[in-house]
Amino acid sequence: MAWRDLTVSDVDQLSSTEEAAASFAMTEDAFRAFYDRTARSVWGYLSRLTGDPAMADDLLQEAYYRFLRANVSHESDAHRRNYLFRIATNLVRDMRRRPRVAESPLADGIGNIEHADPQSADAANGAVRRLDLARSMARLKPRERDLLWLAYAQGSSHKEIAETLGLKAASIKLLLFRARRRLAGLLREGGR
Amino acid sequence: MIAECVREADVLEAVAFGRWPDRCGDLAAHVASCEVCSDLVEVARALHDDRAWLCREAQPPSAGMVWWRATIRARAEAARTAARPISVLQGIAGACFVGAAAGIATVAWHSIHWMDRIGELAVSLESRRADIASASTFAAGHGLPILIAVAAGLVLAPLALYITLADD
Repeated sequence: MAWRDLTVSDVDQLSSTEEAAASFAMTEDAFRAFYDRTARSVWGYLSRLTGDPAMADDLLQEAYYRFLRANVSHESDAHRRNYLFRIATNLVRDMRRRPRVAESPLADGIGNIEHADPQSADAANGAVRRLDLARSMARLKPRERDLLWLAYAQGSSHKEIAETLGLKAASIKLLLFRARRRLAGLLREGGR
Repeated sequence: MIAECVREADVLEAVAFGRWPDRCGDLAAHVASCEVCSDLVEVARALHDDRAWLCREAQPPSAGMVWWRATIRARAEAARTAARPISVLQGIAGACFVGAAAGIATVAWHSIHWMDRIGELAVSLESRRADIASASTFAAGHGLPILIAVAAGLVLAPLALYITLADD
């Protein structure tokens, strides 16, 4: 059930949220600190993989909710972070399986060009590069997008990528090499 | 087949720490002549810059908002989960009531035949007729209130149970 599925009567029944919070994997203070460290990069990951910032907003909330409800103990902050990215990856996969209402808008790149400061050549060039990247990423297979983002945007190790994507660590090198070569070719063509 | 280069790690580090391309010296010359590293720079730089921009521009909801929504949703789910066994219990109670009512009706039907047989026995045993007739009268007079009491108990018990659990 997504947050949007809650009805007014559901909320009316909620006399206290403290009991619910007690079932979470961490305290509120610990969650706030963890969220502040990770939310932006998770949002970026979701936004680039879905190509839809609004969808990224929804999936972000869902990812943290599932993370809290999972109640899994983690040996380190890195492990906790990888677990969160695994949840985010699974959410994106679920979303891809659902029938699409509309095509991914890739709005962040285009919108940015429209709002770029015309005085700033750097801003305009940056927007063009991001649009090229968004177009190129859209032409890759979903798994290639996941791999490349985790490896080169997040800086995850092969072992971490394997854990996050549910793949064998030994296969990451080859998959990454192929995906990288493909994306490099697309970027040189300007994403077309 | 994978083409590899021993300087991939150096290239990745230069991109990740923002040293590429201005502060790389001979590495830039190597990349210009190495296909593997050239691809790596193209991809790593684009994704690194994109992530930096997305992280800068991202406006995720506050931690407090996400926490609050999560607690409300968890509470709603807990309420739904708690309501599920009560519904099952009500169904079981209903089935028990129907079964018990059918059982009581059967027993009552048989007891009527028993009364007839006792009456016939009473006729044949004239000497003890008065005593047996008084016992039959007692059963006929008090059978209905007992039946009503049992049925009321079967109906009220699940209701009382439901009200008790619903208050929690």
